[in-house]
Amino acid sequence: MKKNKGMIVAFLAPAVIIFLVVFLYPIIRTVMMSLYRIDGVTDTMSLWQFVGLQNYTKLFTTAIFKTSMYNIFKIWFIGGAIVMFFSLLFAVILTSGIRFKKFFRAVIYLPNIISAVALATMWLQYVYSPKFGLLKSFFETIGLKSLANTPWLDTSHKFWALLFAYCFGMIGYHMLIWMSGIERIGPEFYEAATIDGANKPQQFRYMTLPLLKGVFKTNITMWTVSAAAFFVWSQLFSNVTADKSTIVPVQYMYVNTFGAGNAIVDKNAGYGAAIGIILCLCVVIVFTLCNLLIKDDDLEF
Amino acid sequence: MAKEREKKQREKLNWKKELKLAPGYIIIILWVLFTFMLLGWILAASFSTTGDIFAGKALQFPTGLHFENYVKAWQSSNVATFFTNSLIYSLISCTLLIVICAPAAYVLSRFKFIGNKVVQTSFVSAMGVPITMIVLPLFCVVANMGLLNNIFASKVTLVFLYIGINIPYTTIFLLTFFSNISKTYEEAAAIDGCPPIKTFWKIMFPMAQTGIVTVTIFNFINIWNEYFLSLIFANSDNLRPVAVGLYGMLQSMQYTGNWAGMFAAVVIVFLPTFILYIFLSEKIIGGVTGGIKG
Repeated sequence: MKKNKGMIVAFLAPAVIIFLVVFLYPIIRTVMMSLYRIDGVTDTMSLWQFVGLQNYTKLFTTAIFKTSMYNIFKIWFIGGAIVMFFSLLFAVILTSGIRFKKFFRAVIYLPNIISAVALATMWLQYVYSPKFGLLKSFFETIGLKSLANTPWLDTSHKFWALLFAYCFGMIGYHMLIWMSGIERIGPEFYEAATIDGANKPQQFRYMTLPLLKGVFKTNITMWTVSAAAFFVWSQLFSNVTADKSTIVPVQYMYVNTFGAGNAIVDKNAGYGAAIGIILCLCVVIVFTLCNLLIKDDDLEF
Repeated sequence: MAKEREKKQREKLNWKKELKLAPGYIIIILWVLFTFMLLGWILAASFSTTGDIFAGKALQFPTGLHFENYVKAWQSSNVATFFTNSLIYSLISCTLLIVICAPAAYVLSRFKFIGNKVVQTSFVSAMGVPITMIVLPLFCVVANMGLLNNIFASKVTLVFLYIGINIPYTTIFLLTFFSNISKTYEEAAAIDGCPPIKTFWKIMFPMAQTGIVTVTIFNFINIWNEYFLSLIFANSDNLRPVAVGLYGMLQSMQYTGNWAGMFAAVVIVFLPTFILYIFLSEKIIGGVTGGIKG
């Protein structure tokens, strides 16, 4: 292999160098930044003031940041439950031998390829519209006047409006992951189970679910990664800091560091960095917990 | 096996079996109808007028089809600029990503060397790193280099960033693909005296075509829809891609009250990825689960 050395270096170098510049260096620097007080993002290191873990402690005593963490937790947990339930349900239905499976699968995945800004606009300006919205006309048609007149986008409903719209877009992706797992199980297992007298729900409970543990882990990890980056939907659903019902950490960080925020007086890029670290830690914790709690290596199929 | 079963199903309609599946059909069909309603109404509204939309008659076109919504959106509110920007960013980034990642993926999949595992693990972990972890130092460096004061430098920076954040995914995707290609081709080429670098470009690269096409479609969709980086790094309308441009337009259109025009802009933004999807949905769906191991 020695004569290939030059080739290995030449082939690998561009990708690795860009990776170091775009990922490794910024990650290390973000970790450092989170320990300093930095008035402007573009300040050179000589202007940084070391404050240790103060940025973190300050953040966790800031009401607006705590709200944003609570919001993202609700999106992750409740949204996660909704998305996992529906995506698994759809995956089971689509693999149960129904017709037009490919067509249905394609339509359910469709929202994932649409720009989040465009998709969020469709929900905001059409589905939830108090004047000509889909929900309004639907409830009017079936005669539920009070529901038809619900202001879906006022402060008390906005968060849930956002959550459902977001989940709608995410279900297709997770459904595909479930489906690939279910299709790997193979029909002969089910044939054997049917011969042994297990009915469909039993087969699902005692075969499909246990065999999908690994896929479940993938789904949770992917969901967590996308939740940690949650931003566009919040920005579209509320004009920055005016209303706190939909604020999420990334949005708070954006306003804090780059932003045209009016509610934030104490500008400090160190907070922004600390928020990045906190989100990253959340992903790592969820990932580790998943690996500890869900062991899929004891099953072979 | 699966194909055989599918054929059997298509041959005879077994009503008993279909009836058992009825609840499943109902749930899926309701969902699909809702999706169609959502997209269909937006499309209809984009050909309507603001007055008709507010009268609740977007689907009946009482005043005919209004193509001028598109013409107006395209000309007056910078959509043409945003669209060209997005197209340029996506095409250049996608091409360069393949040129950079395909060789790297090949080397990682074929040769044993110190650091191979480290590179692979770093790339896989990078896919889980939230963008917030890297954006601040990047902005600091770029701003201090003065790159944001010049239109062309800003564009190059954006393309560089789009490439950078997609390198881990693209490389890992292609790596899985190359590992599945048999080694016998290279062995044969080596016996015939073909140098390894030539073997890669002339034999392996063309053989990986399907994988390359799939990952490029994904990269195109990702970069077309990218929002956060563009929001921070593209600081003028001349630089903005469609996603950020649309956001700005939405803010202003709510005040001008041109709802039909706004829906036309929404359609323009999602049309390219949508058309791509209509033709390539099977490939895209197959690729979703190809990139991650379940």
